[in-house]
Amino acid sequence: MKKDWNRRKSAAVLFSACAFVLCAVTAAGLLLSDYAMETDFTQKNLSPSLSHLFGTDWMGRDMLARTLTGLSLSIRIGLLTALVSCVLALLLGTAAATLGRRVDACISWCVDLFLGIPHILLVMLLSLAFGKGLAGVVAGVSLSHWPALARVVRAEVFQLRQAPYLLAAEKLGVSRFAVARRHLLPHLLAQFLTGLILQFPHAILHEASITFLGFGLSPEQPAVGIILSESMRYLTTGKWWLALFPGLSLVLVVLLFARMGERLRQMGNPASVHQ
Amino acid sequence: MRRLTGILLCLLLTCGALSGCQDRREDNASSLSQAAKDTVVIAMGPTSEPESGFDPSFGWGAGEHVHEPLIQSTLTVTNPDLTIGYDLATSCISSEDGLTWTVTIREDVRFSDGQPLTAQDVAFTYNTVKASSSVNDFTMLDYAEAKDGATVLFHMKTPFSIWPYTMAIVGILPEHAYDSATYGQNPIGSGRYLLKQWDRGQQVILEANPDYYGDAPKIKQVTILFMEEDAAFLAVKAGQVDLAYTSATYSDQAPQGYNLLAFESVDNRGINLPVTGNPVTSDLAVRRAINIGVDRQEMIDHVLNGYGTPAYSVCDKMPWYNAASQVEYDPQGAASLLEEAGWIMGDDGVRVKDGVRAELTLLYSSEDSVRQALAADLASQLKKLGIACQIEGVGWDTAYDRALSDPLIWGWGAHTPMELYNIYHTMEDTGSAQYSPYANPTVDGYMDAALACADLEQAYQLWQKAQWDGSTGVTQEGDVPWVWLVNVSHLYWAREGLAVAEQKIHPHGHGWSIVNNVDQWSWS
Repeated sequence: MKKDWNRRKSAAVLFSACAFVLCAVTAAGLLLSDYAMETDFTQKNLSPSLSHLFGTDWMGRDMLARTLTGLSLSIRIGLLTALVSCVLALLLGTAAATLGRRVDACISWCVDLFLGIPHILLVMLLSLAFGKGLAGVVAGVSLSHWPALARVVRAEVFQLRQAPYLLAAEKLGVSRFAVARRHLLPHLLAQFLTGLILQFPHAILHEASITFLGFGLSPEQPAVGIILSESMRYLTTGKWWLALFPGLSLVLVVLLFARMGERLRQMGNPASVHQ
Repeated sequence: MRRLTGILLCLLLTCGALSGCQDRREDNASSLSQAAKDTVVIAMGPTSEPESGFDPSFGWGAGEHVHEPLIQSTLTVTNPDLTIGYDLATSCISSEDGLTWTVTIREDVRFSDGQPLTAQDVAFTYNTVKASSSVNDFTMLDYAEAKDGATVLFHMKTPFSIWPYTMAIVGILPEHAYDSATYGQNPIGSGRYLLKQWDRGQQVILEANPDYYGDAPKIKQVTILFMEEDAAFLAVKAGQVDLAYTSATYSDQAPQGYNLLAFESVDNRGINLPVTGNPVTSDLAVRRAINIGVDRQEMIDHVLNGYGTPAYSVCDKMPWYNAASQVEYDPQGAASLLEEAGWIMGDDGVRVKDGVRAELTLLYSSEDSVRQALAADLASQLKKLGIACQIEGVGWDTAYDRALSDPLIWGWGAHTPMELYNIYHTMEDTGSAQYSPYANPTVDGYMDAALACADLEQAYQLWQKAQWDGSTGVTQEGDVPWVWLVNVSHLYWAREGLAVAEQKIHPHGHGWSIVNNVDQWSWS
């Protein structure tokens, strides 16, 4: 019995469990999005109870519904962001490493530029440039997370290019595109997937911070950052549940994603196959 | 083990830091209460700090939020009932055609640097504010002129019967000591107080003017701290301030040693209903139904914790208010108005007329949580009428434009009838009112006549007729281009024993109005 149960299997189970919880949160948030906007002034400022597990805010809105909807939005933005930035990183990183010096110089300069600007400032600038609102938040977060991964991919590809089988392929006259597709991409897949998942927590935290700062959505929208910034105003009057539960949930979601990434890396790592 | 030690050390440090705070607070509080016989410490919001200093030509006293300038004197003042009284002026007469105002001033007044205040200074002040003021409208004034040492002539471009209300907010500058670059930091005036110290972003300290020509101020020193609402509340809890602004959010708290003061205001909140450009609000029946279908008291109870009064106009309780503006809450009446106009209830609870669904987007300023809550409550009330509302927070960069076609939650309320003009009178170039599409030539006519009128009493009546003259106007029986919802009472925490003198109805802006008569406050 004990023999069958190895670390790879437990990693797979944990991975699926995390994925399931996150999917459930996303779905619940989508279903509750109308309820999260509903105000009921007869139920305002209630501390957590059985009918309102997370309590209610100063307009009588259910905080559980608002938190779930906010997290759901964060997760969806995170997903999009992670996809966009990973694809960008993969393309740019590969291009930099394979298309010659000039392209490399150009892309590396861009990477340095993006990395040189403080991240939160960059997100703010981008979202302002895209006209605030949902579009601004999505664009701001998703267009600012690619440089680090692009750099990793570039280094990886550079290293690969010195591999004997690639040098052989080049000498045999295989086209650059074919080399990239046949040899590089499969090799980069593990990097890519792990990068994708590890991008999530980043993206979610940045989405939360930018809505916290008021650059993103209109204040009646339930985004985690908005919920937290609203709760600040009520902390001095002792309404602790407005900040505590949404904050904890955000941390939890971020941790779940980090765990998922970790497990995925474990499973994808050829060196750990026999553990 | 190492970790445990670390945690213990952290705990110790925290305790030390906290107890340090505690001690200091108590020291502060006791030192304040000992000295608290003729001084007062007041907490105001950070936006109350005058950006350009205490210079009337850059908005001190005369800006968006009007109040008495304290450091300077004004020609006239507004009385508690918002009629006009005199400060520097001894008489104030308009010519028959309304184009010249003759104001005589008292001759015993000196600036705080010892120089006498003359008609020359008054004329200089008005010519300066006209030239430089970016915050107030002085286009009706042509120029001011000193006829002799104690008489000033104001030559107007157009008749402006409510000129005394403008004179009540313009502090008089010293011509001999005015430099627009430095005056804001070092103001010299003839008012009740002198500016002793100004630490930008933190506090302003005013000291009683020993040479003041009127009754000597009872409060010798006024310290004004600028802090956010939650910081002000914490300062109250720690006993660091004598009076602090607060809002309905905190009104259920009970800090020890303090009372909650609520002052009535004309600081109203209302929505504009575009008469053209919006398929729903352009129907008069919809506008009338909203006006009587909104339960204002419910809004006050829900959003303001009861600290407010129902608003029926932009100028409730002012001398120029027309009582015909008042309406009774009548949901059945509202529903039948809509039915008669052809708005039939659909299966989903939203009324439809000729294929147009009764749907509105209610805008509110995204920085203002009270307006957000008002918008949310209004939306749920209108839903019961069969009008579906979506609320949306907007910044002021786009709000003005969007309000031309969608209702926006506004806040108004000033001590001058000019506000009626700004809201309802058409502009020359567009033929429509400035903030929300509306035009009624009769209403325009009354307001023009009111401005041209030589007698203030008579002008009040014309302002009232502009609201409702028996056949047309902006009230329920008229065009209802705006629906007024609530007047937000201004709330303060006041230390027990502090007697705050009777307040005029506060205008829009929860700031300096409270200290208009700080010189008459007292401690018991």
